[in-house]
Amino acid sequence: MTPAISALTNVYLQRPVRQRDRPLIGITSNTVPWELIRAAGFDPILLSPGPQYKPSAEVYLETVFSQRIKSIFHFLISNDSALLRAVVIPRTSEQEHKLYLYLREVVRQGVEQAPQPILYNLLHARSPEAQAYGLERTRALQFTLEQLAGHAIEPDAFSAAIAEGNAARCAMRALLQQREGPAPKLNGSEALALIGARYFMDGAEYALHAQQALQEILARPPLPGPRILIKGPPIDTPDFCAAVEAQGAIVVAEDDWWGSRAAGRDIDAGMEPIQAIFEKYYFDAPSPRVFPAVVADAWFQRNVSEVDGVIFHLPQEDDIIGWDYPRLRAFLDDRAIPHVMLRDTSPDEIGVFVRRLENG
Amino acid sequence: MAEKQLQCTLRAAEHQKAWFAQLREDVFEKQKPYAIVQADMPLELFHALDVPVVSNQWWAAMVAAKRLAPHYLDGLNALGYHDGLCRYCSLSLASTIAGDPAQAPWGGLPKPALLSARLTCDCIQRVFETWAAKLDAPFFPLDAPGASELPPRWWELSRYRWNELFETHRLDFMVAQFHSLIRKLEEITGSTFSLDRLRALMEGVNQQEQYFDEVREMICRAPQTPVRMHEQVSNVMAAQWLRGSEWAIAHAKAFRDEVRQRVDAGVPACPSENLRLMWVGAGLWHDTDFYTAFEEQYGAVFVWSMYLAFGPDGYIRYGLDHPLRALASRTVSFNEQLHNPPWANEWIVDQAKRHRIDAALVLEPLGTRPSATGNLFIERALENAGIPVLPVVADMVDARGWNGLEMRQKVHTFLERV
Ligand code: SF4
Ligand code: SF4
Repeated sequence: MTPAISALTNVYLQRPVRQRDRPLIGITSNTVPWELIRAAGFDPILLSPGPQYKPSAEVYLETVFSQRIKSIFHFLISNDSALLRAVVIPRTSEQEHKLYLYLREVVRQGVEQAPQPILYNLLHARSPEAQAYGLERTRALQFTLEQLAGHAIEPDAFSAAIAEGNAARCAMRALLQQREGPAPKLNGSEALALIGARYFMDGAEYALHAQQALQEILARPPLPGPRILIKGPPIDTPDFCAAVEAQGAIVVAEDDWWGSRAAGRDIDAGMEPIQAIFEKYYFDAPSPRVFPAVVADAWFQRNVSEVDGVIFHLPQEDDIIGWDYPRLRAFLDDRAIPHVMLRDTSPDEIGVFVRRLENG
Repeated sequence: MAEKQLQCTLRAAEHQKAWFAQLREDVFEKQKPYAIVQADMPLELFHALDVPVVSNQWWAAMVAAKRLAPHYLDGLNALGYHDGLCRYCSLSLASTIAGDPAQAPWGGLPKPALLSARLTCDCIQRVFETWAAKLDAPFFPLDAPGASELPPRWWELSRYRWNELFETHRLDFMVAQFHSLIRKLEEITGSTFSLDRLRALMEGVNQQEQYFDEVREMICRAPQTPVRMHEQVSNVMAAQWLRGSEWAIAHAKAFRDEVRQRVDAGVPACPSENLRLMWVGAGLWHDTDFYTAFEEQYGAVFVWSMYLAFGPDGYIRYGLDHPLRALASRTVSFNEQLHNPPWANEWIVDQAKRHRIDAALVLEPLGTRPSATGNLFIERALENAGIPVLPVVADMVDARGWNGLEMRQKVHTFLERV
């Protein structure tokens, strides 16, 4: 491993919440505008704490909450979150709105302490009303952040933040390209780390490391094995990819924000900044609430023709993508694209599927 | 099934049956439009344009009461929808997929002109899109921003100060969406929406809920409850689905009068009432006998559920100069009011005190997300107020996995301690 690859991998695995040059603001999803927080003079950091924050007995969050949300909640009420000036929680999933309400409540009741939660009411249905509302809420978020910072955001700060975010996206897209086509050079477990590190780093620093990592990857020979696309709730660890790849396949795409869809397109630097930032996050960020299905499915439909097979990974806690599965499965059947649905990481079932693909 | 003590309860059931038969006739024979909607939709807009609505949750409860849920849900699972998906709001879809009018309640749902839902949980857009495709009818969603300001004692503000309570930007947004929905309904019906008609309906809703408020007050004050929880639900919901209509107002009044007669004559629902129980959560629609199962041995009577109590607190809106905005304020926060802190826990504790509740049973629906949240806050708040709590793990519609005997046994053990 080159220093760049190992640096990115370490950041991804450790997900550190550490003091940086600027005050930190936590975020909980890909749909919180990184550039806006940055322009206001903060360092945005995705909260993705490990299981160490899980209490032995859960007294606040019901069993229906995902492990991810539980860990974030317990991190936020732990002393370690004192580093955060605030946490911005988007209306990107129902569980995140509840996370916001629960945090406020434990603080209101005086039973816990937590950084100030800020709700970013970004909606994801495609309608003129939701679009207008989202733009207005993005301006409201700007106002809240400016108040926190104690000053207005200057035009230069916007430009710099947008340029930095776009540079990171550009570097990320170059890495993602190495997964595309008939001869990928980057497997899924490694790719997830190289992409996901972005959420825990400065944009500029990330771009630099990612470009260096790319140089090494370009020099590699292509990887053999059937090419797999994974569809399911976002996968925030490399474990599932590793399990698939242990069976001889290569994961070349994930339909989620931790994987292939992390970068998307750039923010339009020529537009009024808030409008441009909003449009990026409203039109181009994956979320479980994107509606209607034709919009939500578009990426999947475009990309499945580039792979040898699709694995639907619907772990036990899934209660959303399971609704999409029969529809997406029918789409694949119509095109004779092989697929399998797995509710857990069973090496045997993965193995059978990979053998099927290998034997054509 | 437990005896019906009130004439009103029988009349409510008869009316619902006749109403649904009329709906089927109108749809099949006169091609009149009707809509299928989520329970938390602004039904008033549909009524103002003479579009009858069937609520998803009402239909699910009907299916569950007919004990058809296991069969329908098995069918849904067989199509590839896994069994970890939520069931309350998808059971009616499952009944459409099963497509057996012979077995379905009252001949089944005819094809609607429209389906509509607020996008609360992340799955509901999926349930309704799938359902709309199956029924070959359009789906109209109302997106749902989250509440971010929540003064704890919301029920003290909701009648007169609703304009401040629910955040201006959320009300503006909901009203904007209402305009689109109204356009859609006008398109479907060929009629023109009238604000005056809506205002009159909203005034009717206020009147109806005032009757319910009086009933609630009588239950709070009478030495023993004059009406069992399950009969409260039947009477209240029959009127709520048609709220503001002449029938609904008259029914609410008749219900109030009959309860008052019982109070005046000193007739309790259960003469041996000795423990007053509260049911927190949606109803256990597949086993409603559960609600009377503890009277004989313990004199334990369910006196409270959200269905009656939420009527006055959740629906009354005074000051109807802007009826659309008032309606928006009724629509935007159902979920926060009933299932999330601080609103749900604060309200339920207040209700428990006013109703002199001795113990609470809290539904923990593993297969139904929004009603499964907020429970730990509610339980702790009740316990802090000195009210013992028993969580009841069950699905409101799905009898698969429900062991009624075992659960009754658990309640017995719990009541021994109360
Ligand atoms: S309760 Fe919520 S999660 Fe469950 S089916 Fe209804 S909308 Fe979906
Ligand atoms: S039980 Fe709760 S989640 Fe379900 S329809 Fe009623 S208010 Fe909504």
